Amino acid sequence: MKTMAYYPGCSLHSTAKEMDASFRATSDALGLRLLEIPNWVCCGNSSVHSSNRLLAAALPVNELAKVEQLMKLESVAVPCAACFSRLSAGNHEMQNPEMADDILAVVGHPYEGSVKVRNLVDVYHDEIGLTELKEQIVRPFEGLKVACYYGCLLSRPPKVTLAEDPEYPTHMDDVVEALGCEAVQWNYKTDCCGANLALCEQDMVIELTRRILRDARDCGAEAVVVACPLCQVNLDTRQDGVAKKYGDWQHLPIIYLSQMVGRAIGVPDAQLGLNKHMVDVMAVMG
Amino acid sequence: MTTCTPSTTLAATIESGSGVNVFKCYQCKRCSSGCPVAPYADMHPATIMRAVQLGQSDMIFEDKFLWLCTGCETCTTRCPQGIDVEAVIDELKSIALRDGRVPEDAPFANLVRLNVNSIKRWGRLFEMELLMRDKLTRPSSMFDDVGMGLKMLRKGKLGLLPARGADKAAVERMAKAAEAITSARALGTKETG
Repeated sequence: MKTMAYYPGCSLHSTAKEMDASFRATSDALGLRLLEIPNWVCCGNSSVHSSNRLLAAALPVNELAKVEQLMKLESVAVPCAACFSRLSAGNHEMQNPEMADDILAVVGHPYEGSVKVRNLVDVYHDEIGLTELKEQIVRPFEGLKVACYYGCLLSRPPKVTLAEDPEYPTHMDDVVEALGCEAVQWNYKTDCCGANLALCEQDMVIELTRRILRDARDCGAEAVVVACPLCQVNLDTRQDGVAKKYGDWQHLPIIYLSQMVGRAIGVPDAQLGLNKHMVDVMAVMG
Repeated sequence: MTTCTPSTTLAATIESGSGVNVFKCYQCKRCSSGCPVAPYADMHPATIMRAVQLGQSDMIFEDKFLWLCTGCETCTTRCPQGIDVEAVIDELKSIALRDGRVPEDAPFANLVRLNVNSIKRWGRLFEMELLMRDKLTRPSSMFDDVGMGLKMLRKGKLGLLPARGADKAAVERMAKAAEAITSARALGTKETG
């Protein structure tokens, strides 16, 4: 059985509980053992890297050091795209010798930079693998048309995320196609949803949400699949605002990739948190 | 032939904090073309880069752009010169917060401060506290998204208590150490620059 360290991050314990539940349930079912990093702390998110670069690197490196030195594991699963970005940035900053000295001085214990940071798409696409995944499918989606929305931090900047094609990534498309979906080709795959600006710049985020979802629908999608808690919350909660401002709006369900995988491999609905969404998902998940 | 090495104090400060030499920018504006928030402010990534080259800090700090930037990394990804534009923007945000140079119509700056404090206080982000403190310190937001917040509470997506189990002491220790090193470096730049 394969074992990975697991870094859930703050959102997976609150607004993205269903991502945590469905990720754990699918990992169990697919024979991937997840060991949560003991006493993990926040990755620092965007607020710390816009106020102190050194602390922004030290917080994730402290977690990576625990995986390497304490847990003796090679890789860590980080389903939240924002946390994935910060932990990857920790590894990236460690490659700069001057920064590395400062970071380790702040962290206070050694880290050799060996831990691979894997996001939600990587886990299904590479750690489990498409062949293995296909073998486990018991309830395939019969040609459901979905738009895979990658947002920003799964792929950008490529020097940090190591993404092969940051402008038009396709690994999530490969995973949903393995589940029996049809991944539509569309234009806003990697456009920004507004991230946590949604807490104070609601009008701007309504515009960004509308632009993304209108294109998904125009390209034929019946649902949007995501791998980031911030993307999910914005696209899911801001559609009422779009409808109020523009009228005539057909809501699109916004579903985590881990929920899609869970449904296809036969994880009971109750473990997937399908009732946590603002826009009902049962029309496509039932 | 003589060569000229341009320099401004602002550009030097940015370089020492972010490692970016802003004079590599030749204003092709690919960063701004892809920027999702450029339409909502007067400045945009390319004008920010130009203003740093010319040492025009007022122009940057009086505009709302820094506090609309979502950190989407499109500018950095697309720069043909390989400039980490986002790192420049982050460094400018840090300076604005440190020196109190945030414009009035920039509610996001408040959220950044509260977010950092919440992480220091609990070791993890306590979202409910962040939302409540934001409403208290920014009364104009009092009634924003109340209906949605209630729906999320009902669905169990917002916790009423902070997380347990985080190594808070480690965060406190690292924050102190990082701040000490950062301010020593900033002082060094001011003395030599």
